[in-house]
Amino acid sequence: MAAAPAPPTRVRARPLTPRRLTDLAAAAILSCLAFVGLFPYLYMLETAVKSNSQFSRNEATPTWPFRFGNFATAWHGVAPYLLSSIIVAACVMSGCILLGSVSGFVLARYRFPGRNFFFGLIALLLMVPNMASLIPLFVLIRGLGLLNSYPDLIIPQLTTQTVFSVVLMKTYIGHLPGELFDAAQIDGASPARTYWSITLPLARPIIGTVALFSVISVWSDYFWPELTIVTNSLRTVPVGAQFFQGELTTSYGPLFAGYLIASLPLLILFVALAKNFLAGIEGGLALDR
Amino acid sequence: MTPAAAFPAKTPEQGAARSPVPRRRQRRIPWGVYLALVPALGLLGFFGYYPDINGLVHSLTNWEPGFSSPFVGLANYRAMWHDSLWWESFAHIGIIFAVAVTAMWVIPLAAAELLITLSRPRWRLFFRYLLIVPLAFSPVIQVLTWQFIYDPNVGVLNGFLGQVGLTALEKNWLGDPGTALWALIFINFPWIAGLPFLIFSAGLQNIPGEIFDAAAIDGAGRWKRFLAIDLPLLLRQIKLLFFLAVVFVLQYGFAPYIATQGGPDNATTVPVLRIVGVAFDAGEWGYAAALSTTLLVIMMLMSGLTLLAGRRRAPRGAR
Repeated sequence: MAAAPAPPTRVRARPLTPRRLTDLAAAAILSCLAFVGLFPYLYMLETAVKSNSQFSRNEATPTWPFRFGNFATAWHGVAPYLLSSIIVAACVMSGCILLGSVSGFVLARYRFPGRNFFFGLIALLLMVPNMASLIPLFVLIRGLGLLNSYPDLIIPQLTTQTVFSVVLMKTYIGHLPGELFDAAQIDGASPARTYWSITLPLARPIIGTVALFSVISVWSDYFWPELTIVTNSLRTVPVGAQFFQGELTTSYGPLFAGYLIASLPLLILFVALAKNFLAGIEGGLALDR
Repeated sequence: MTPAAAFPAKTPEQGAARSPVPRRRQRRIPWGVYLALVPALGLLGFFGYYPDINGLVHSLTNWEPGFSSPFVGLANYRAMWHDSLWWESFAHIGIIFAVAVTAMWVIPLAAAELLITLSRPRWRLFFRYLLIVPLAFSPVIQVLTWQFIYDPNVGVLNGFLGQVGLTALEKNWLGDPGTALWALIFINFPWIAGLPFLIFSAGLQNIPGEIFDAAAIDGAGRWKRFLAIDLPLLLRQIKLLFFLAVVFVLQYGFAPYIATQGGPDNATTVPVLRIVGVAFDAGEWGYAAALSTTLLVIMMLMSGLTLLAGRRRAPRGAR
């Protein structure tokens, strides 16, 4: 709300106070930045509803009629990748939430010899880039005979996400008011009960964050599935999208429609959990102290 | 069974004690916690620590997974020393890093500043979401889309240049050794949808409004406020961002792998591509392990230094 305006003139709803001027200027610049950032995706959307001849006639602007049939064409190509990604993401998500919340709860709320040591051991893995473990992990998974399977897709992701999850959960649960846990103890709640009825409900925001991050990571991981998966139906979205591109090199409409369909679950989740995402970033800042 | 169920039940007298309960807890060791930690530690031990250590050990061998791997000492590391492509790849990520800690911070910082300049929370939220929407697309799809933008024949970039009469500037952006690396760097321009922006805007939002009000009363203009308040307070986040930039850059690889395969003429080779090539194309696992270990050590050193540098600054910091 602008600072109390003098006699309200009916002509202009709000006078151009300096504040309003800065607002408009800032909004204008931000709109430009947002447009540049979103341009590739707007272009993707626009091309996704074009036929090939529409595209070759007019590349830049939307053309009538919209060819929604492209989405049907793309669906057949992309559906297996979506299914595989959803299965992997669901397993990684539930696994890292379970492991992270239990370990985070224990590490944050109990004092025992080795507590800092174990936490340090887990947090140290944050510093190991996935790419540095790629080669030895490949040798290990191949040795176990798991290449080109669901466990092959799930285990490396679960490992990385669990590290992240334990650290975030421990920090978050450690910052919950201690009185709650003391009260539970006074009332005779067992640790299992404290975990289930107090910690989990209170940790819901951070659980959302961890869930979102694990899905993002399945939708981002490229090298591992690229190097270990050969069965088409096991391909996750990142490698699937690239394979799909190889198949449809010149049918731009269905190609971009496919990209959009493949992005949809993440997009939906992102919109639904954007608050958690931001809270997670802020939690991460708290971790940084 | 949930692992937590294995905790020893608290004795009633302990529960009845109203006085400082936590202190009491300290004395008896809740053995159940170890059981609760077993699954996570087991997973991370077997699939986290074991392969890394295994890789480290086998970097000293001529690794033939599944067969005997003859010990070769530091031969792999000596070979690395003379591997010009490997060092060239570090020059490339050096350039990427330089951009990652300058332009890729400045633009998001400017956007975050503009965001808190908006007086209405509603608009702030709206623009914040609008600016981070690209985050919701798979990075691979982002790269594939930009690859299309750079396409020499049907790409939007050349199309745009042709339309405004700058045909002379049209290029095969990803196919020209002079522009390929920069084309990769400019993927996702203006680089706002990312952690730096989120961290800056969260940091700025956490600055209490009273500080800004006080600054305004003291007659500090917007620019002065930025220099005197925002920037010093944001310096705390720089450590984290620097660490994230190191992680991002050292692991950078999928974009060139997809868009340029390290070419043209090795202009976009990065360490990760070299490692993958050595292992999966040449089958030199021991050498690949040595390269991975080197990458790991560099990463540890850089993050260790970042943490130490932050610590030294802390006592003086404007916390």
